[in-house]
Parts: sequence; C-alpha cells; structure tokens
Amino acid sequence: MKIAIAGKGGSGKTTIAGILARLLSQRGHEVWAIDADSNPNLGATIGVPLERVKAIRPLEAGILKEATDEKGQRTMQLALEPREVARKFGLPAGDRLTLLLMGTVDHAGEG
Amino acid sequence: MCGAHAAVRHLLGEMQEPNVITVIDMEAGLEHLSRGTDRHVDALLVVAEPYFKALETARRCVELGRELKIPRVAAVANKFRTDSDLAAVREYAAAHNIEILGEVPYEEKIQKADLTGAAPDLGERNPAAAAIEKVAVALGL
Repeated sequence: MKIAIAGKGGSGKTTIAGILARLLSQRGHEVWAIDADSNPNLGATIGVPLERVKAIRPLEAGILKEATDEKGQRTMQLALEPREVARKFGLPAGDRLTLLLMGTVDHAGEG
Repeated sequence: MCGAHAAVRHLLGEMQEPNVITVIDMEAGLEHLSRGTDRHVDALLVVAEPYFKALETARRCVELGRELKIPRVAAVANKFRTDSDLAAVREYAAAHNIEILGEVPYEEKIQKADLTGAAPDLGERNPAAAAIEKVAVALGL
C-alpha cells in the first residue's frame, strides 16, 4: 500500500507522515518512508540525525530503464527490484522502517 | 513533460512491494498533484490546519486527487486547539464532501520536537499520536 501525504507548507504534513510511518512500523508493518519534499525534514521526525540524512543517496533517474507497458506505450521502470532499491538507497531508521530520499527536482525555470 | 518530474513520478510509482507500506511525504503545495506525480498511490491524505486558506488548499488537493482517481482521498485535520476549530473543519469538510480520516489536536510536545529537530515522543499521553494511530486503523492498517 502506498500513502501520499500532502498539504500546505507548515500544515504539519511532514510531522504527520513521520509519526504515521513510525506508528505503522510499531504496529508490525514494514515501512518505506520516502521524503519527496525538496526541503527534506522527514528524517528528523522519524529520529534520524541530520548528518545521517545528509549521507543518504537520493533515488535518482539513473535507476530507471525504458520499458514498454501493457498498452505498448513506452514508459520507465526500475532497473532493480524495489526491495533492492530500498536496501541500496535507504537508511534503516528503526525496526521495519527505512528512510528514502527522493532526488531534488529543480523547479526554477522548468515546465 | 518535464523530465525531472516524470522521473519522480516513475520512481514513486515503482517503489511498491507486497506487504510493505510506502509513506511519501510529498512536496508542499499542489504542484505534485497537478503534475500527476501522485497518480499511483492508494491513498492521499491531505493535512489541513483549521483556517480558511489551509482548508481551501486542502479542498483543491482533494479535487486533484479525485481527478487522478486515487482510490482513497481524505483530509487529516491538524493542530486544532479548540472544539470550535474542529467544528469549523468538520463543517467545511461536510460542505465539500471531504472525508476526515484523522483529527489531530495541537500538541506542545510535537511543536517542541519540531523546533529542535528531534523526533516527537510517541509514548503515553500523546493525544496527537493517538489520533494519528486512528488514521492507520481507518486505513485498515
């Protein structure tokens, strides 16, 4: 199951995402917490010190490969199994909880 | 289509595994929704503080989430301090046909943790954590 947490800046979005991820792992689930915010603070909310967050290698377009979907359209797929991606890029952040970072997207001037 | 955004959409779309719950803290604001970045999620939770502009943003997020055909789109009311705050959020949500999946009160301990960059204590007597746990239960998790 994949859950996206959205909201205005300052709404407490990151706090809710982090606490939800921790509670779900406490409830026995394996959780991948992905920080897709360009101002990444999810690590702090799940108890990962900033120095360790900085050392995380963000998910990058390089792990995608071109593929053809069921409709014959060209698309992109992971070149690795998702679990392998979590192991390679993620930081263990507690029992059953892995923190992943999305590569930053430069918004300025992009359409 | 912007390549960087497409890459993020594909990466988020592909990072799924049976028996693993992926929780994604999205970019603040609406852009990720208008670009369809969240298209492949099972649930979209829109966090809203109890004031009008925040609720308006939440409503637009919910509408975009529905357009993307995300199976479950709901709001989480956050940082309400009074019963009348909560009543206002409920009234707004009801008027716009928005499901509220969680009602998380303002919690001093969480705000302090946010200030210091620490992880909030989820132990006993944390009503906010208890409210977020209800969100997990409401999602069947």
